[in-house]
Amino acid sequence: MSGVTAHSNVAIEARALVKEFEKGRHTLWQRVRREPDRRTTFRAVDGIDLAVETGEIFGLLGPNGAGKTTTMRMISTLLEPTAGTIRVLGTDVAKEPRRVRAQLGAMLSGERSLYWKLTGRENLEYFAALYHVPPKDTKDRVERSLAAVTLSDRADDYVERYSTGMRQRLALARALLPDPPLILLDEPTVGLDPQASRDLRDRVRDLRAQGRTVLLTTHYMEEADQLCDRVAIIDHGKIVALDSPNALKRTIRAEEIVRLDIGIAGDGDGAAIVDRLSRAGTVARSERHNGTLSLTVHCASARELVPAAFDAAHAAGATVQHVEVVPVTLEDVFLSLTGRGLRE
Amino acid sequence: MTVAGDVRAFLAAARKELQIIRRYPLNYVGGLFWGALLPAVYVLMGQAYSGGSDPRAMRAFAERAGTTEFAGFVFIGYAMYMWLSSVLWGPGTSLRREQIQGSLEATMLTPVSRLILLFGPGMSAIPSMLFTFVVTFVTLWIMFGFVPPLGSLFPVVIIVLVAVPAMYAIGTLFAAGVLRYGEIGPVVQIVRGTFVLACGITFPVAMLPAWAQTGAAVLPPTYIVSDIRAAILQSVALPGLVGDLAVTIGLTALIAALAILLFGYLERSARRSGMLGRY
Repeated sequence: MSGVTAHSNVAIEARALVKEFEKGRHTLWQRVRREPDRRTTFRAVDGIDLAVETGEIFGLLGPNGAGKTTTMRMISTLLEPTAGTIRVLGTDVAKEPRRVRAQLGAMLSGERSLYWKLTGRENLEYFAALYHVPPKDTKDRVERSLAAVTLSDRADDYVERYSTGMRQRLALARALLPDPPLILLDEPTVGLDPQASRDLRDRVRDLRAQGRTVLLTTHYMEEADQLCDRVAIIDHGKIVALDSPNALKRTIRAEEIVRLDIGIAGDGDGAAIVDRLSRAGTVARSERHNGTLSLTVHCASARELVPAAFDAAHAAGATVQHVEVVPVTLEDVFLSLTGRGLRE
Repeated sequence: MTVAGDVRAFLAAARKELQIIRRYPLNYVGGLFWGALLPAVYVLMGQAYSGGSDPRAMRAFAERAGTTEFAGFVFIGYAMYMWLSSVLWGPGTSLRREQIQGSLEATMLTPVSRLILLFGPGMSAIPSMLFTFVVTFVTLWIMFGFVPPLGSLFPVVIIVLVAVPAMYAIGTLFAAGVLRYGEIGPVVQIVRGTFVLACGITFPVAMLPAWAQTGAAVLPPTYIVSDIRAAILQSVALPGLVGDLAVTIGLTALIAALAILLFGYLERSARRSGMLGRY
């Protein structure tokens, strides 16, 4: 692919980005009955500032409903922001949306966005026409896109006969058709098995090696950690942290994370255990469910914390049921910033 | 982003629809039924009501319809009805299907003009409509012995060429509603019923009350079906149809402009509300 041209250092620049949606309904029947309009405004994106640099893989990480996809859809011109500005490769999204679309490849709704009754090749030929690929280049561009996602040997099968992973790869191939310097991927590995996910991530790394900029959303911390040069953690429509994965993990003042499940008898709430462990580390999460106290503790050394946990449990008449020592992950960063897990 | 690129995309959109339709061959069985059997039912019913083509009944019909060729009158009307149904449902159904299956957003992410996405898929209905027309006239010939005069072919081709943009402008006017409101089926049903009633699809417009005839005069299908009947059943030459064709072209321009404006407005509304990705 040769269409990667040098722009300024910033591929995407968003400033004070806001998107509001209406919440609730005001039905025709309610209008006829002159009932008050009880609709409220919900802010899905709440003042995001973002600068994605050319040639990097930039991740938007957050739980479902955090505002990642809404942000992505505004950047791709599918949604109009309520307020704020976005420039993609130097072009204002609001003023020249067609020019923006001509410069980006996007994979936003994955396998559903394909025509299942067409072959993979027919899908790409159709979209090549929509992307205004010159007819003399279409065949070559389609072949290269198929090869880039290793689908050449299944190009003439109907998409309905593809696996989910193959359809995701075909959707990625479609995003490559315009030979774009910028690619948007919304939850690219959702629904894929581990092998297919690894395969797709390899393809995304290839894109960076070709000099392209990739903006992706994900709620998989491993994906953000392994793939992204920089990650913005989003929660409730705001960016709560933005840096490289390693720098973000360094914000957790701990070397190791200990996850404990402690069985508590009777009406005990485990407060004494939490109190005692707080002296040995930082209790980032504490939840009681069906007689089990689940704790996530950030500490300098698990070798010191784990015996302390057993002692604390013993003193409180409780039993340690499960101990897991793991390195610091982006999940822990999110937990420390929001008090919640990514999958809650 | 060139006009040539948009034209190629337009043709690609029509070709893509045809490829998909071709993979469901049973669709063509429907074309046989609608094109042949349904109008025959109405012709036979009319013959029964007229006492087996009683000369007095046929004279009364000719006073209102301008022809005694009852079967030809009904079959041409039904061909028009099927075309109207196809264009009213076609572009809207196509957009709706894309919306539900999830491909609408993918097409909206490309730099192609939105109007291509609106008008392109509807073109795929033309071959199936031509197939239905052939079935209609073959049935008319075999069952009722009516053969359209060869001299009517040229004026009919011209009328159809003028009619294609008119019909698709009407279809796209309603298809635009899909972007903002999703389901437009009930509206299309009402509009189709109104057109059938007002445009003289199965009976002469002269049968309508005066106020309804005024309404019929602003609907392109009224002129199209009337002119096709005049060319085939009364052997009226092209110069005799020029006035009607000019009115049809004028109405087409108005409806197309309205469809484009409405589509632009609704597309922006959908981008504000997020409706493009919802259904």
